[in-house]
Amino acid sequence: MAGSALKRLMAEYKQLTMNPPEGIIAGPVNEENFFEWEALIMGPEGTCFEGGVFPARLTFPPDYPLSPPKMKFTCELFHPNIYPDGRVCISILHAPGDDPMGYETSAERWSPVQSVEKILLSVVSMLAEPNDESAANVDAAKTWREDRSKFNEVAERTVRKTLGL
Amino acid sequence: MAAEGDKFVYDPERNYDDATMAQIRVMENEIASQNNIVSDRLSLQTLMEEYADADDAFKLKIKDLESRYRYMRRTRGDGNCFYRAFGFACLEQFLTDSKTLPRFKEVAQKSRDELVSLGFPQFTIEDFHESFMAAIKQVEKQCSVTELSNIFNDQGLSDYIVVYLRLLVSGYLQKEADFFANFIEGERTVKEFCNQEVEPMGKESDHIHIIALTTTLDVPVRVEYMDRVDSEKCTQHNFPEESQPSIALLYRPGHYDILYS
Repeated sequence: MAGSALKRLMAEYKQLTMNPPEGIIAGPVNEENFFEWEALIMGPEGTCFEGGVFPARLTFPPDYPLSPPKMKFTCELFHPNIYPDGRVCISILHAPGDDPMGYETSAERWSPVQSVEKILLSVVSMLAEPNDESAANVDAAKTWREDRSKFNEVAERTVRKTLGL
Repeated sequence: MAAEGDKFVYDPERNYDDATMAQIRVMENEIASQNNIVSDRLSLQTLMEEYADADDAFKLKIKDLESRYRYMRRTRGDGNCFYRAFGFACLEQFLTDSKTLPRFKEVAQKSRDELVSLGFPQFTIEDFHESFMAAIKQVEKQCSVTELSNIFNDQGLSDYIVVYLRLLVSGYLQKEADFFANFIEGERTVKEFCNQEVEPMGKESDHIHIIALTTTLDVPVRVEYMDRVDSEKCTQHNFPEESQPSIALLYRPGHYDILYS
């Protein structure tokens, strides 16, 4: 069904270009391969990530949108729901049954009517509100919970770094 | 497996999340390699053979089934079996009785716009709708049962039809949210329930899903329950209750197959 996946990804790209959500840019790395996307996410206002521009990669499976893509930040990002290697771990990126983190029952799940836009919007909320109940980076979760000023300090450093300062 | 006595040591470098999912994939592939998505028509005798070593309670129930049905078609146990069994049986019946097919096709055609009006972005639903309509058009052209079976055994096409049937259930539950809110367990809205229990592939179906799909498509179904309930007969249930279904499904806890008289 790679043909269906390609058709859908092209439709999503068109949609995102015509109605881009605030603070998000995303599209294929090059027009030859629609299964690898690059995204830029602005740190949400009023949070310790404000002002940062965070680059990420999205990799789509051949049976997309039956299965969700994988998403990985390509910059350093110290956050409870991002693995130390940059991979994003939120419920919407998991198919049902794939629930190793024991997400809350009310969390959004992947289904074929979700979209790249929904994922990126969830990632923006994840940056604004880390979920330290299901941590991908235990260290970050602990710092977020126990030493907020240090967490904010690390975040500010990351923000400056992403801006090349 | 770790040898007995080995203690589990957490390795922070290892990604357990991935390991768990890889394990799930292995299990899924194992199920997929063992069965067709939808089998050929089989004699009910195969059901008796399956329960050869089971206790009499099941054998009595199979005997009861044999008094009313002669064949069955098995579906793969991947959490989508209700949709797959219902979808196949529903389209197959139109091959022999096409009287109500034009009305069914019209309902199916219009359903896409109804889903859009409920807030589903069009680009997320149209490919699934197209696959469903394409299958209906094949049936309209009086394709063979084998051709219909080929569609349902093509993983991609088959899954796209399942997705669309799931969306029809979600749409109907959301349209009638005031009513269905009473039947949803936990502190969830109907929309949340649909997002978690209806729209994702592999999520199993309950009464509420069956009521929604049979009502929205106006295709009634009879379900024969072969479970542990202490009785010599299978319990029958028609959806909707007062209907005269021409298709029948066999329910065993957690699984649906198709029955033929």
